[in-house]
Amino acid sequence: MDVGAAIIGARARVVSALAARFRDLDLAEDAFSDAALTALAVWPADPPRDPAAWLWRASLRKALDATRRMATRTRAVFDDPAPEPTPEDIVMQSDTPIPDERLRLIFVCCHPALAPEARAALTLKVVCGLSTERLARAFLVAEPAMLQRITRAKRKIAGAGVSFEVPARAAWPERLGAVLATLEIAYAQAYEDAALAGDGADFAAEVLRLSGLLVELVPDDPEVLGLAALVRFAEARRAARLDRDGGMIPLSEQDVRAWDSGLIAQGARLLDRAAAYRRTGACQILAAIHGAHLSRRDSGVTPWPTIVRLYEALRVLRPGPVTAVNRAVALGMAQGVEAGLDALAAAPADGRLDRWLPWQAARAWLLEEAGRNEEARAAYDAALALDPAPAERLYFLRRREAISAPEG
Amino acid sequence: MLLIYEPHDAYTGDNGEALLMEIVGKHMALSQDLEQNGVLLGGDGLQGVETATTVATGEGGVQTLHDGPFAETREQLGGYYVVEVADLDQALAWARKVPVAVGGKVEVRPVMIY
Repeated sequence: MDVGAAIIGARARVVSALAARFRDLDLAEDAFSDAALTALAVWPADPPRDPAAWLWRASLRKALDATRRMATRTRAVFDDPAPEPTPEDIVMQSDTPIPDERLRLIFVCCHPALAPEARAALTLKVVCGLSTERLARAFLVAEPAMLQRITRAKRKIAGAGVSFEVPARAAWPERLGAVLATLEIAYAQAYEDAALAGDGADFAAEVLRLSGLLVELVPDDPEVLGLAALVRFAEARRAARLDRDGGMIPLSEQDVRAWDSGLIAQGARLLDRAAAYRRTGACQILAAIHGAHLSRRDSGVTPWPTIVRLYEALRVLRPGPVTAVNRAVALGMAQGVEAGLDALAAAPADGRLDRWLPWQAARAWLLEEAGRNEEARAAYDAALALDPAPAERLYFLRRREAISAPEG
Repeated sequence: MLLIYEPHDAYTGDNGEALLMEIVGKHMALSQDLEQNGVLLGGDGLQGVETATTVATGEGGVQTLHDGPFAETREQLGGYYVVEVADLDQALAWARKVPVAVGGKVEVRPVMIY
């Protein structure tokens, strides 16, 4: 048996069950790590019939030991009367299956009382078991800073009294929204990561798994389905996103043969399921936009007018510079570059748009499409001055070179 | 603890007086609601920050008095409720019901248990 895979596979379930029982994330994580270490030592010679159940019993024992030690230490100081008997024996002897508390744990880690960035890191740490070091790399912060982010979030959960219950249905729109936003941030990080360091596949695989898990736990929410579809559609293109030298290949120029048809089919099924609820949301629209781009695989052309319409719908739900810039590009392709450039000029700004890389990159691309090489070159220069990631840098350099070549 | 912050000029406009009466009325309703649910431990409105005096303790325990609140901000602490509930979600549900003027904020903070 693959011991590592069995441990990773059981992790979310066991840690969630421990966290729900002890209401202590650190205790749950530590107890599971201890049990996993024992498993690594014992399983090769004596593989368990049910690895998850084995890990659940072993970590439960470790957690109970730890709480007993804590109680003993407290008694030594305060000289309390004898402790109540622990329920350990009853639990250890019974053959009860592991309770499935994964949704509870996800709701705890994604509580809106936590900062969005902290939620994403904490969820990936506690639910998926990613190391602080791995998270630091993915979120582009130093390891001590990541550790602090996670520690602070855990302290807030304990200190502010975040409940370990699944929230009442009435609170779901907001709470599930926070969960979806968390997964979106986590995936955005995984997506960036691929282009930046080239080792993002494992990270993205976790987000893929997590979004699938959420569908399993909340099968009847169209936005949950939409997000899972979105992640699958975007991941399907992973192999096609970089060229051999590590340069970025824009979506509309990617080789469709390198797209993963299995993930595309999964995404399409999820999005179909979502559509049946007739309750549109941002995740579904984003997934539909990805799906429209992917349809080039079969039709040979990108349906830009459809993509423009989808961005118009998205603009209602998510007005803001990101949507505006993407819509402008689609508009430029659907109705002519001038329309795109006009839309770009009218984009809402958080700060100065010309200092914002996606805006500058979109402008450069549209200008190049219009054959306005002089201006396009200047725009590529401006984009390069904004410190793009290596894959993007290489792409901008090449575009600039291509249009600098003597014409005719 | 639900700490209520509102913009310093929330009740100074033309409708200030009327708005204040409206908010005060809602506070009375909320107090009743809190009491009927058995979660109210206490609470008060505070007089304006122009009445505030701050005791500052510096190096070596030297204390000085300052006229005014400890921090000059647009939003000012105007009152508080102390409620006893099971978890943050319940506290937040009550915090949402605290009446405030536009721009008002309610900060939820657990009380230290000694």
